[in-house]
Amino acid sequence: MSALELRSISKNFGAIQALKDVSISLEPGEVVGLMGDNGAGKSTLVKVVAGNFSPTTGEILIEGEKAAFHKPLDAQLAGIEVVYQDLALCNNLSAASNVFLGREPTTRFGPFRIIDYRHMRERSAELFARLKSETRPRDQVLRMSGGQRQAVAIARTLLSDAKIVLMDEPTAAISVRQVAEVLRLIRQLRDHGIAIVLISHRMPDVFEVADRIAVLRRGELVCNKRASDSSPEEVTGLITGAIEMA
Amino acid sequence: MKKKDLGLAVLIIVVGLVVFLRNPLFLSPINMGNTANLIGLFGIFAIGQGFVIMTGGIDLSVGSVIALLGVLFVDMVGRLGVPWPAAIVIILLLGALIGLAHGLLITRFKIQPFVVTLCGLLIYRGIARGYTGEATAGFPFGSTYPGLEWLTIGRSFGIPHSFIAMLVIAALAWVVMHRSVFGRHLQAVGKNEEASRFSGIRTDRVTIAAYVICSVLAAVAAVYFAMFTKSVQPSSHGNFYELYAIAAAVLGGFSLRGGEGSIVGVVLGAVLLQELQNLVNLLGIPSSLNFAVMGTVILAGVLADNQFAAYRGRRRSSRTLQQYQAGNELTP
Repeated sequence: MSALELRSISKNFGAIQALKDVSISLEPGEVVGLMGDNGAGKSTLVKVVAGNFSPTTGEILIEGEKAAFHKPLDAQLAGIEVVYQDLALCNNLSAASNVFLGREPTTRFGPFRIIDYRHMRERSAELFARLKSETRPRDQVLRMSGGQRQAVAIARTLLSDAKIVLMDEPTAAISVRQVAEVLRLIRQLRDHGIAIVLISHRMPDVFEVADRIAVLRRGELVCNKRASDSSPEEVTGLITGAIEMA
Repeated sequence: MKKKDLGLAVLIIVVGLVVFLRNPLFLSPINMGNTANLIGLFGIFAIGQGFVIMTGGIDLSVGSVIALLGVLFVDMVGRLGVPWPAAIVIILLLGALIGLAHGLLITRFKIQPFVVTLCGLLIYRGIARGYTGEATAGFPFGSTYPGLEWLTIGRSFGIPHSFIAMLVIAALAWVVMHRSVFGRHLQAVGKNEEASRFSGIRTDRVTIAAYVICSVLAAVAAVYFAMFTKSVQPSSHGNFYELYAIAAAVLGGFSLRGGEGSIVGVVLGAVLLQELQNLVNLLGIPSSLNFAVMGTVILAGVLADNQFAAYRGRRRSSRTLQQYQAGNELTP
């Protein structure tokens, strides 16, 4: 059964059709590289799946069941997590605090409910260990490398036992060595049976981890095939429109 | 206690020692009692300001709120004969309402905090002056309010109750700021509002709550100040007090960009400011130079803190480099 299935999703903004009849499905433990030029509809598609927008027409199915998202929290509860491009982390807080941001565990302390720091540290240490990352729970995000920050952002998705993770340009603003680290993290997630949508402009990164390549052009899905059956040259052609459809 | 707070505490002790050596009256019970009272009065609303600054905002209206609510409190208790406990509740509710208005204007209507509270500063001051027609609000001659006076200007074992009130408020504020989920969200919103929103934090509510806390604590301070001065002169009462609060917070390690600071720090900041006022008096420095001394010390403090932070950063990176070169790997 597919982790996520989109059935003829369309999204209009007034007269502009940002997505036209997009159908695609994701299996558990599968990495799909979603590519396309600026304005092709990648971000719109992510926002539809993440519950920021509801589609004009079409259906979203999670593990075979129809889902309706009215706000991002609905999608989160359905097991969909998003790692945002600019890494929505708070620099002034520790790694553990960032992992738990917005869902802090509490414990009773007299009349107060206070944050359970110990649980936070232990659980996030566990998650970092699962990701085989060197990040320590007490470290401040401020002093972390781009790769470590990605590890924190990705640990957030493990915390909620996400089934589907959408990653928006996770390798855009980091050094070459850290890109390798992030790609390793993506494989880790995949090995945990999580379905991943990787949105990226960087062709080599996509081909390195993606099982399948999907290309959007002007809101239409023009390619959805195994990465091993495609090539960077073909995908470039599809993105620019030199190749009509594959 | 953070390193920054510790540094500030050391500075307070050193300055105190110097003043004591020049003028032993510094440690006399009378001087300590009076200074503690002022620390209590100024500390209460400085803590409130800390909550707002944590969100990356600012509240410039504190002094005017203290004047307006002070006038209303004295008028209610002194002239209208409202029982003082009821009057206190009304004042606190008015404070909450003012904070709520600030918070809503900032979050819903997207007006900058500086602008909102600057207008507040003018409006509340104007209303206070208009309400009394520039006259001084005071209690009727010979009237006493034993319970109220005990609570506000009373002393136990020589310790002013305003100081004790400040300590209680500081303890509560510490739990809220540093141990509660709300405090954690406050710090997150102050540093990265967008990230907090993506994480499911209702950032508008957090911001509004910070302004409500600030104005309610200003209302508490308004009652204490009104009882301390016994009469409220609406055009001068509480003038510049918001700047004392901001100065205390900045001295205490708060960043005006938001997301940084501690309750211990802001309380110590309030202590240092009053110690400096006291220093000017005790060392015979002309009191006209009061503000100049305060400004110089704040500037020096912030400058030293910046330099020290840069030094620590350099030392950390050189240590990491050494580790890296020695073991050729980054060991935790």
